[in-house]
Amino acid sequence: MLEELSLHILDIGMNSLAAGAKNLEIIVIENTVRDWLIIRIRDDGRGMDENTLNQVLGQNLTSKKGRKKPIGLGLAFLRQTSEMCGGTFHVRSTPGRGTSVTASMRLSHIDRPPLGDLNSTIIALCANPDVGVQLHYRSNNETFHFSSKEGKSNEPRRTQETQGKGSTSSRAA
Amino acid sequence: MNLDELKKLKEKAQRQVALREGNKKYRVVFSMGTSGIAAGAREVMTSMLDELDKRGIENVEVAVTGEIGLVDAEPVIRIEEKSGEKVTYAKVNPEGARKIVAEHLQKGKVVDGLAVGKIKESEQKK
Repeated sequence: MLEELSLHILDIGMNSLAAGAKNLEIIVIENTVRDWLIIRIRDDGRGMDENTLNQVLGQNLTSKKGRKKPIGLGLAFLRQTSEMCGGTFHVRSTPGRGTSVTASMRLSHIDRPPLGDLNSTIIALCANPDVGVQLHYRSNNETFHFSSKEGKSNEPRRTQETQGKGSTSSRAA
Repeated sequence: MNLDELKKLKEKAQRQVALREGNKKYRVVFSMGTSGIAAGAREVMTSMLDELDKRGIENVEVAVTGEIGLVDAEPVIRIEEKSGEKVTYAKVNPEGARKIVAEHLQKGKVVDGLAVGKIKESEQKK
């Protein structure tokens, strides 16, 4: 089991990198009034078809060839954590277009792991120069945005925000 | 989550960007699959980045990879030299990572206690 939610984020994010994603968007929303913590990891990788998706959620699965015994616990771990903490877990995926993983949990649930060192998670995911990593964090009324492409190309962040679909999810909060 | 903590991310990420550009003497690959993460690979990476920064070492490229199949030996890191020599370190903890920076990446000496596999250029060609 992973002890911090940021480790779960790293784990799911690594799946996205393995799926050949060029853009990876991580959304974390904490709402103390409604007592929700929502984590969404969205990528534009190769996605999964319905069969694979069912397998991923039904049992532990890996995409590695030649392995008879299925391994790959990442999604199952996160699902276990969110369901244990009174939340829900969804994966949406379209082959060729990408995958979106959403996990929610009760912020005040006694079993909810701490968010932990989110910075180190993002830094680790930024190790791949071909992938643009974005983080949108919102805690009640405070927000924080990060984009790994920002420092490199000096693009104004506004453009990237309008390009991404991040605005939709922040409104949902 | 502390918002002030997150604000340091931008600065840290810029340093990381400098570390991922290729054509350096060493390339350090972290196994960052589920087993590696559960065993503490992220903390090992954090301490290595910190030590590289402290010592001002710049000829190192840092990368991550998925599961590599050495589940019981995690956290695993592999150091690839430009010459083709590869060294794999297993069960690395944050202190071990600092030692690897000091010995291997700075002085070019393999840390014997932690290394599990070493491929020399000559053996690879066979």
